[in-house]
This record gives sequence, C-alpha cells and structure tokens, in this order.
Amino acid sequence: MDLNLSPEDRAFRDQARRWFSANVPRTELTTLEERRAWHRTMYDAGYVGMGWPKEYGGRGATPMQQAIAADEMARANAPAPINGLGVGFIGPTIIVHGTPEQKQRYLKKILTAEEMWCQLYSEPNSGSDLASLRTRAEDKGDHFLVNGQKIWTSGGHIADWGILLARTDPGVAKHKGISCLLFNMRQPGVEVRPLKQITGSSEFNEVFMTNARAEKRELLGRLGQGWEIAQTTLGFERGGNSMARVTRYASAFDRLVEAVKKLTRGGKPLLEDPVVRAKLGKVYAEMEVQRYAALRVLSALQKGDSPGAASSITKLSYSEFEKRYYELCLEILGPYGQVTDGGLEETTLDVDSSSGVRSSWAYAFLWARAGTIYSGSSEIQKNVIGERVLGLPKEIRADRVAKA
Amino acid sequence: MDFSFSSDQQLLRNSARAFLDEHSKPAQVRLLWDDPRGESETLWKEMAQLGWLGLALPEDAGGSALGLVETAILQEELGRAACPSPYLPTVLAAMAIDRFGSAAQKHRWLPAVAGGGARATVALMERALDFRPESIETRADERGGKVVLSGIKQFVPWAHVADVVLVPARRGAALAVYVVDAAAPGVSIKPLTSMDPGTRLSQVTLDAATVAAEAMLPAEAVPFLLERGAVGAAAEMLGAARRCLDMAVEYAKVREQFGQPIGSFQAIRHRCAEMLLDVENSHAATYYAAWALASGAEDGPLAASVAKSYVNDAARKVCGDAIQVHGGIGFTWEYDLHLYFKRAKALEPLYGDAEHHRELIVRRVAR
Repeated sequence: MDLNLSPEDRAFRDQARRWFSANVPRTELTTLEERRAWHRTMYDAGYVGMGWPKEYGGRGATPMQQAIAADEMARANAPAPINGLGVGFIGPTIIVHGTPEQKQRYLKKILTAEEMWCQLYSEPNSGSDLASLRTRAEDKGDHFLVNGQKIWTSGGHIADWGILLARTDPGVAKHKGISCLLFNMRQPGVEVRPLKQITGSSEFNEVFMTNARAEKRELLGRLGQGWEIAQTTLGFERGGNSMARVTRYASAFDRLVEAVKKLTRGGKPLLEDPVVRAKLGKVYAEMEVQRYAALRVLSALQKGDSPGAASSITKLSYSEFEKRYYELCLEILGPYGQVTDGGLEETTLDVDSSSGVRSSWAYAFLWARAGTIYSGSSEIQKNVIGERVLGLPKEIRADRVAKA
Repeated sequence: MDFSFSSDQQLLRNSARAFLDEHSKPAQVRLLWDDPRGESETLWKEMAQLGWLGLALPEDAGGSALGLVETAILQEELGRAACPSPYLPTVLAAMAIDRFGSAAQKHRWLPAVAGGGARATVALMERALDFRPESIETRADERGGKVVLSGIKQFVPWAHVADVVLVPARRGAALAVYVVDAAAPGVSIKPLTSMDPGTRLSQVTLDAATVAAEAMLPAEAVPFLLERGAVGAAAEMLGAARRCLDMAVEYAKVREQFGQPIGSFQAIRHRCAEMLLDVENSHAATYYAAWALASGAEDGPLAASVAKSYVNDAARKVCGDAIQVHGGIGFTWEYDLHLYFKRAKALEPLYGDAEHHRELIVRRVAR
C-alpha cells in the first residue's frame, strides 16, 4: 500500500496544472461554438479522450493520468469538454464492438466534437426495467425502419448522432430481441423536444422517431446483441470520474466556509456556532471518505482490475452523498441557500455542482436529485450489489416467472 | 499509487485471521467475558511470539519495524474476532515511547512489550467528557526533584492488567505525558463493569503518585496518541462491522420466509448493499489514515479524525443492521452478533468521540 503519486504522475500533474492555469478561458463560454472551440483547444493539448488507444486518436493514458487531468480541470474551474457521452463511453463502446469502417467513420469526429452524440436508451415505460423497451427497428431489407419514443435524452437537442437501443425481434425473450444502432439524429422523422427540469434548465429531451431510418451499416455488433452492448456502456458510465467529482464538492465546501464566516446568528459568525461546526465536520469527513474511496477504485483500475459490478458501490456512494451534502449546505445557509438571483453579497452564484455547471446553491441542491436516478437508480444499484457482489439470491420477478 | 495490500500485508492478514479463527473463537471470547481478568495470558504470549506486539517497534527492541498499516491490519482482525485483548492501548503506548521517549525509557519498556512481558495503556480521559488537551486537570507538581501526580483518569482501557500507564498531566502551564508504573504507590485502579466485557475499562486515581522527573514525554505525545488510537479503534470497528456484514449476508441466503430466502427480498437485499457500502468506505477511510500517518503525509492527522468520526457511525449502523436482518435470533445472548455490536460500540467514545474529531476537522479545514 503506497498512495504517493509516482514521479511520472507527479510530473504529469504539474504539467497539467500549468497548462490549465495558462489556458482556462477568462470569460464565460455561452454558445455551443465557444464551448466547441475550448473543447478543441483541450483536444489539441491531449486532454480529451486521454484513455482512448493511440490508434484511435487518444493517448492511451493510464486511469491515474485521466483522473489527474480531470482533477486539475476541476481545480482550475475549467469548463468541461463537450460531447461527454460520446467521448466518455459511446466512443469506447464503438472501439470494443464496432467494425473497422464504423471506427473510421465515427471516432475522430467524436473526439473533436465535430459530431455530438446522445444516448437513446430510456423510454417513458422503460426506466429501471430498460429491457422492456418498445422502440422498434424493423428490418426492411436494405435498412431498419425506426419507430418509438425515447426520454431523458441528455444533449439530444444538440446531438448529431445517438446510440440507440431498439427492438429488432419482438418474438424472443426481452433481453435477447434488442439491437444497438448508431442512429442519425439529423433526419426527417426525428423530433427532439426539450424537457424543462426541476432546475429550470433543459439538459434532457424527449426524442420521437417516426418512420426514421437507420442503415444496415449502422448496426453496432450483431443483431440481438444490444443488451450486452448496453451493459458495456453502463459500466463505463457508472465507473464515472469520481475523483473530479470530489474536487468539485471540495470547491463548493470552500464557498460554504466563506458563507458561514459572513452569515451571523446571535451576533457571531455561523462558523462559531457549535451546531454548525459539528455539521461541517461531519460532512467534510464524508466528503474525504468519497475521495479515499475514489483513490481506491483508481488504484484497482490502474492495476487493470475491472471494477465490474463493484462500480455500482462507487456510484451509489457518491450520488447518495451528494444529496446529503447539498441538503446540509442548504440547511446551514437557510433562505440564503435558496436565492438564485438578486445580488445578496452573502449568496454566491458560483457554486460547483456535479453537472460541471457553476451556479447557485439551489441549482447544486436540485441537480443532486438527478444523480441517484440516472444511469441506474440507487435501487437498481443496490440490486446489482446484492445479487452480483454479495451473491444474494435473485428476487422472484414476474417477468422471470413468466419465462420459466 | 497502490491502495491494495502488498503480498506481505496480505500474508499477515491471512495468518492473523487463521490464528484468531482458531484461538479467539466466539466460545473462547465468551469465556474471557466471564473471566475476572478478561484477557488470556496464553494468548498474549502467543501474540508476542507471532511478532504482533513488536510489529511497529524497532528491531533492536525485538520488533519488526513495520508501520501503522500493518498494525491496522491486525487490529481489524482482532475486531473481526471481537478478541478481548489490551493490544490497542499497549501498542499505542509503546509507539509513543518509541517516538518521544528517552533511551532509558525505551530500554525499560519496548523489549518488554515486544516480548509479551509488559502491557501498557493510555489515560486520555478525565471526568469531563472532553478530549481536548486544554481540558486536562490532572496536576504534576515538582517535589524534591521528583514529580507528584494528582488527579482522576476515567475510562482507561485495560488499566487493571497494565504494567505502565501513560498519564497526560499539567505541570504549571505546560502539558506533558508521564510514564507511570501501575504498581507505584499512590496509583489505584478501580475496574468498571461496562457493556462490552471484551473492552475492560477502569478509573485510575493518582493520589500523590510519585515518578522521576525524567519519566516524561512531551506534550506532542497527546495528539499522537489520539490520532493513532483513533485509527486503531477505527480498524477494530471495521473488523467488527465486516464480520457482522458477512453473518447477515450468509443468514439472508439461507433463512427462508414466505417460501423464499429472505435475501431475495429487496428490503433485506438493499439493507445488505448499504451495509457493504458502509464497510467499504470504512475500509478506505481506515487504511488511508493509517497510510497517511505512517508516511508522514500532510493530511495524516486530518485523515485520522475523518476515519474515527466516519467509522464510529458506519460500524454501529452495520452491526445494528445485522441484528435487524437476523430478526429475533440476532437479539439473543446465545447468538454471536452482540459480541461485535458491543465491541464496535465500546470503541466509539474512546480515542476521541465523533464530536471531538469533527471539531478537529473543522479547525483544520475552515479557518
């Protein structure tokens, strides 16, 4: 056991720290084009898709170096790269399951964000029970005819492509009849409607596909292999980059400390209130534990151990912590924590949230509700942990009974 | 960077587990619960022979010169076995003597501890429910070239079997830690009966107990003892929690109700998943802190406070949830769960309770 960074990793960290402090945009990026330009600057410097193999445009960086770069990015308050779904796990999924032609066609443009990607998985009636999805992709000889509706599609409104799960064979068991398509979002028959979230912003969308078309060459993997491929992508997603998350939580903690120095009760700063101090100490300890746990996961990844189902523990841990964390921040800050505008000097609108957006305490608090739902809810994670990590017996489910 | 145990550390854990599975079975633990002394001389001698007592002591004192990570590994196993033993306070006191003591003190105590011939303890609490050094009231007055100690130390672990007690006391304005022979005149030890008979506690009264003026460690020994004690206690609580988790999961696989194993019900399975999460996070916290203190990392003391305050809550919850998963049988004296539940609970207020460590955290991070 040795938690020191190796000399190479330390040199890499110093280099990344210098680069981000010299290159972080000084003004807020508002348009997609500005964000794309910043993304390209990072890509050219080698900080996008770092873990991808060199032959596909990455640098084959170790998990440690990827975590260091993400951590430095968070530390410098750098805007996140765009096309996160594409770079984070759709590209890697194509690398695993794609044909040489597909790799040639899609990968470079994912890295450069020339083409933006979204994930077309969840449906209105298929959330946790994703395998019950009903979007159809009918084999029409030379192409697939796609009909159905997707929901909770992050970035759907700006996506050029989507990784689509659709039913190609309704006649077999539900997990077996699903295929995965690389689906062109820019075509007639695709309608994207933004969903306004409880944060007031619209990162999610509904996507309606009406007699839309997918070419045969756009099938990823084999017919009927979609469920298996989805497990690959969800694994990438749940592994997450927990180090950088903790850096964002820590940055929000600094804002909290600033606030409790300014706000007063009984003529004294809140920071001197023993109840507030006890709460701060408890939540800081929990945050540090998230950091230690992230280091432990990283160390396993670094040794080439695939976290597998254990990545569910990480996801469950940080997403549930995040809710408790921002709840506690708002509890301490009272109504100051709920102000989203109005220029009170005690209330910063510069709080880090795990979405990467810096906004009000209220935004961070509300956004925290998303983490325990997306990418497999906490309840699903606990099922995975129970069955696949602890080896508890599977529950008796109506759909399993029916097949028996 | 590597968070996993080295092969030597793995070996140490495996051999410790095998040894304790054989020599600290629940039935043996229960015998010691009923024993007036509460611990086994045979077991202590065997621990010495295995090299456990000198694990972190220098080689010239008969030790192995290993670090806090290895000590924590053993402590986790002791907690997993709910082994009644003065191991933690003894190695803690010995580490402080090794770090801060004079050559004569080291010579007097370290080989004796490593060889199994001496037990030691630390008196970190007084009547006030307060671990801050500034709350210490025990006085150390100079008299005729010697030091006379007066005061009452409360909840001192395993004092009734200790040969030497480390006693923080105030000499004028200055704080120091005195190395007190437990058999010295003026030292009286009154054992208490407490919820966990595997963690014996005593009240130690110093009524003009006289020690040599040089039988003293500097004031830095107080935070040193609290930090390392916190990590050692966290490791034992982690071991107790992991044992309870294992028992709950095994039980949930075989216990049937409504014609199914209860582990197939989400109400049980989700609880077990949460227990695992708490145990894994406790592992990360404990060993991070052990490594950080051992390697002199800047955040070592902070990490010790994080570990103690976090594992206090996590271990209590996991052990308690294991009782809940078992239902009625888990509430019986004959079933073994309460051995671990009580061990975890007994360590909660020792070596700094959660309130103390949270306050230390805030002092470090919110200035």
